[in-house]
Amino acid sequence: MSARPPRRDVVLLAGLRTPMARAGGVFAREDAAHLGASVLRELLARSNVDPGTLDEVVAGCAGPPSDQANVARVLALRAGVPEHVPARTVARNCASGMEALTSAATSIEAGRAELVACVGVEVMSRFPLFYNEAATRQFERVSRARTPLQRVAALAGFRPKMLLTPRIGIVEGLTDPISGLVMGKTAEILAREFGVSREDADRFALQSHQRARAARDAGRFAREIVPHLPLGARAGDRALEHDDGIRDGQTIEQLAKLGPYFEKPDGRVTVGNSCGITDAAAALIVSSAQKARELGVTPLARIRAWAYAGLDPARMGLGPVYATAKALDAGGARLDDVASIELNEAFAAQVLACVAAFDSDTFAREKLGRGARLGALDPARLNPNGGAIALGHPVGCTGARIVLSAAHELAVRDAELTLATLCIGGGQGGAVLLERVSS
Amino acid sequence: MIDLTGIELPPDSPPPRSCVRLERPEPGLARLVLDPPHRTLAVFDAPTLRDFDLVLEDVENDATLRALVITGRDARTFAGGADVDAIAAATDVAFVRRFIEIGQRLWDRVAGLSRDRRGFTSVCAAGGPIPGGACELALACDRIVLSSAKETRIGLPETQLGILPAWGGATRLPRRIGVPAALDAILTGRLLAAADAYRRGLADRVVAPEDLVRIADGVALGRIACPRRGRRGIARYVVDRNPLAIALIAHQARKQVLARTRGHYPAPLAALEIAARAPLTSLESSFRAEAAAASELAVGPVAKNLIRIFRLSEDAKKLRKASDGSPVRAFERAGVIGAGVMGRAIASLLSERGIATRLADTSPAALDAALLEHRAEVDGRRKQRRIQQHEAQAALDRLDATRSITGFGRAQIVIEAVAERLDVKRAVLSEIAAQAGPEAILATNTSSLSVAAIAAELPHPERVVGLHFFNPVKKMPLVEIVRGPATSARTVAEVAALALRLGKTPVVTADCAGFLVNRLLGPYLDESLRLVAAGIEPARLDAALLAFGLPMGPLRLLDEVGFDVAKHAAASLHAAYGARMTPCDVLEAVGKDGRLGKKTGLGFYVHAGKRAELDPALLGLVPRSAARARTLTDAEVAERAILAMFAEATRALQEQVVVGPRELDLATVFGLGFPPFLGGLLAWADTQGLPTLVAKLERLQSEPDVAARPGGPERFAVADGLRELARGNGRYHA
Repeated sequence: MSARPPRRDVVLLAGLRTPMARAGGVFAREDAAHLGASVLRELLARSNVDPGTLDEVVAGCAGPPSDQANVARVLALRAGVPEHVPARTVARNCASGMEALTSAATSIEAGRAELVACVGVEVMSRFPLFYNEAATRQFERVSRARTPLQRVAALAGFRPKMLLTPRIGIVEGLTDPISGLVMGKTAEILAREFGVSREDADRFALQSHQRARAARDAGRFAREIVPHLPLGARAGDRALEHDDGIRDGQTIEQLAKLGPYFEKPDGRVTVGNSCGITDAAAALIVSSAQKARELGVTPLARIRAWAYAGLDPARMGLGPVYATAKALDAGGARLDDVASIELNEAFAAQVLACVAAFDSDTFAREKLGRGARLGALDPARLNPNGGAIALGHPVGCTGARIVLSAAHELAVRDAELTLATLCIGGGQGGAVLLERVSS
Repeated sequence: MIDLTGIELPPDSPPPRSCVRLERPEPGLARLVLDPPHRTLAVFDAPTLRDFDLVLEDVENDATLRALVITGRDARTFAGGADVDAIAAATDVAFVRRFIEIGQRLWDRVAGLSRDRRGFTSVCAAGGPIPGGACELALACDRIVLSSAKETRIGLPETQLGILPAWGGATRLPRRIGVPAALDAILTGRLLAAADAYRRGLADRVVAPEDLVRIADGVALGRIACPRRGRRGIARYVVDRNPLAIALIAHQARKQVLARTRGHYPAPLAALEIAARAPLTSLESSFRAEAAAASELAVGPVAKNLIRIFRLSEDAKKLRKASDGSPVRAFERAGVIGAGVMGRAIASLLSERGIATRLADTSPAALDAALLEHRAEVDGRRKQRRIQQHEAQAALDRLDATRSITGFGRAQIVIEAVAERLDVKRAVLSEIAAQAGPEAILATNTSSLSVAAIAAELPHPERVVGLHFFNPVKKMPLVEIVRGPATSARTVAEVAALALRLGKTPVVTADCAGFLVNRLLGPYLDESLRLVAAGIEPARLDAALLAFGLPMGPLRLLDEVGFDVAKHAAASLHAAYGARMTPCDVLEAVGKDGRLGKKTGLGFYVHAGKRAELDPALLGLVPRSAARARTLTDAEVAERAILAMFAEATRALQEQVVVGPRELDLATVFGLGFPPFLGGLLAWADTQGLPTLVAKLERLQSEPDVAARPGGPERFAVADGLRELARGNGRYHA
């Protein structure tokens, strides 16, 4: 094998996110480019980076609005990034925000860029409804009509059912076309296979809310959040300051009352122990270590390693196990070395299945092809500030958010290593290993 | 050939035929190009009119021609209209009338080409500014083709200068686009963008600037179809040529004009009479009416004053150049500290005008309100179709809010509008100075503190300047640029350029208490209050100053300003200037129980929405002074308030608070609302006669009620400069 040139160190310079707002709520009138641009603009101002010196802007978004095919370019220009800086949108479903970061890191590592702004953004409130097949065909007939008579005939062909039963973008987006399963059903499979009970799942969901509430009240999220006054706000309305999905008064009894949502009547996955549908954006600035020194900035973290892994789409929720194994190997670290893990809470059952798989020799041998288990996940180190069950999971934003949160944990816990990992619809996992930068 | 006798050619005029060029690009077509070597933008001065005549004669004498295109040097340069300076200098009615008739006849000869020859087409192809006489030339052509570029502005602004469109404009515009639309255009004097001109039927086709001449040639020769837009079909007969309808429309328009001008401005009324009847009148007699009315107006005092103020505000634009005449940097990024009434409006205005602005305040509620007001404002402009969706979006993106003073490292100018306390302002600006770049300007919107004191502890006082906006920021047209002792000339030029970009007229003032405007406003308002205390009814006082020509009476103005703000300003003037600024106790006595002016809904007036009526309960609150004043006439009431302002102005002038009388007059018109038809405070004084005013000031000093009060005689004391000027029977303006 020929000698490869040494890879360059990549660091996370700074990051910021909007609060996460429940879909259909306060950010319902937002627009992906506006939301992404506001947080990027604020990050650039606070970090005193001249946007003209950026090599690129990379944005992750799972469902860009139809009028913003390359939403990265639109939001970059709207954030005041000058025209000469190129921008691209990347997608890896739930990991799109993480993909923005890792693909920027790949460029920097390879010496093709020095300073890149990354954004993860999703306004799930604005996922569209589509005309169904029958209506679409009828519209085609209307547009093909040549004579007034043909047009009248075509128009007369419309039936109420064509217009009143649209295809729903968000449902289609959350369904895996290969396995035919909606995401919640993949979590039901894991719950059964790993013996996760309804009670375990509800307890985990409750803990997510409690931890998120404690983190918010302790000011932990103030490190990450810039308040946002959404489009559509009226006179007298105030900016959203905190994630609005956190339920302060959540009890185990309330959670227990909810019926299963995806598999009735015996399923274990409810809306209470799943992540919420959410609108938010997060922005990160990454650079080479050399560039950070030139700018005189102490980075939040060094990006020590990252990895993506593929698995059975029907069991996509185990993605973090596969990806973490690869990332730890790439970074030369063990699970025990990692001070805290942000593991995206798509579903409580899915997180608990991952916890079991991490600690299973059988799983390690059969699925990961390694001799022994990765290790036990100390509950105190797993999502110490709660996760998506409380905060929400704005698909394209989440990957960037959990990396940002894990990076801050380095300072909060005075730790050497933290990790952010998530499962990805379609059967993948992604993981980023972060390391403290000594100033 | 026209007779130019009596119209003097300046000695350095370019040679004949050099100002207007005739091109013959193809058989049958003549292209007449306005390209005078002595002007950057063609003006219809004597040499250009002379050459237009010569070239037009060539066209008339060539029977092979069937099309004429009139155009400018390029697609963004046509002509600026008649020579305003020549009109301003004229004092002889007969001379002005001749000047008008020359233009009328020339333009009508253009129209005559198609009247006299079958199948002849004339086309005006223009872009850039096309005001007044230039627009009238276009109206004489069969078709008007305009460049779609942003700079294109066409219209008839003459009434704004106290005259009327007399080169056929008041006659041809209503015939072309109908009486109602023409009255709107002529009475507002608004210049229209190309698309608007097309919508109203003034332009027949709007084309890309690169295609302007090619398409105009094609239209003239009939190769490119271009139907006339203005044809109004049946409305022509039902409205424009229906004496009954016209009488009704004219009546309504007259009522509106009188409500706006309160009879002080004769030009709109004269223009209205001619334009409304133009479709019913023969060209000849309509032209005669134009010439008669315009020549009378042009030599009258109102036109002279309005043209002078137009010139002054044009001259103020020169402030934006560096001392060597080079342009200064245009800001791209600004900061504003303080999201109060002033700060948020300044920030919103900056963002609207293309500058990325970061607004800081410690109060999240104030920031949220500021952003929402900005959004509402921008959205309003979008709904009025003054800006497009993507422009509105960009204007929103340009305003950011922050709760701490962070992220100002890349701002090129930071304007503070925090509380009027020296320690607060100093602290904020030094915090900014610590993070701002080496070129950044720090500006203060203070109205009562000294720029020198604010700048004292900052690292670069040469880049510290006062930038005094008036409330409401978006409406008030003046900005005082306060030059501290260390402020550099470049800094002044850069903020002047900014003020102009924001659509404001800048006036540079010295760093004295109240600067210029508030310094003059103080004694005027206090004297007004003293008149109320002396028994002048509030209604009479406000009516007297309205009749003088001010946009609102002093009590109404105090309501707008707010009693607390007015008291604070009066106290700081008193501290700085001593006895002559002694405030009376009326505001103190009246301003209780939440009576602070319009912002609390209750001042001298009761405010409900946009309506305001004097509060009858008020008279009981006003403390009475030993009065004699009840016997004053309305004119004397107004005069006393104005003289208090005038006496202070003469002192400010003597202390060189502004460069000279011209700048002072400009500031009084744009900052104080001094009636434009009077030409400004000192122009008014010149008209009154300085010796008369000196005598009046002296008489006022010995009025019993003035003499008896502290600082009374000092307020009306005659400044040395004024006394000297009056002795020689001199004037402030030559």
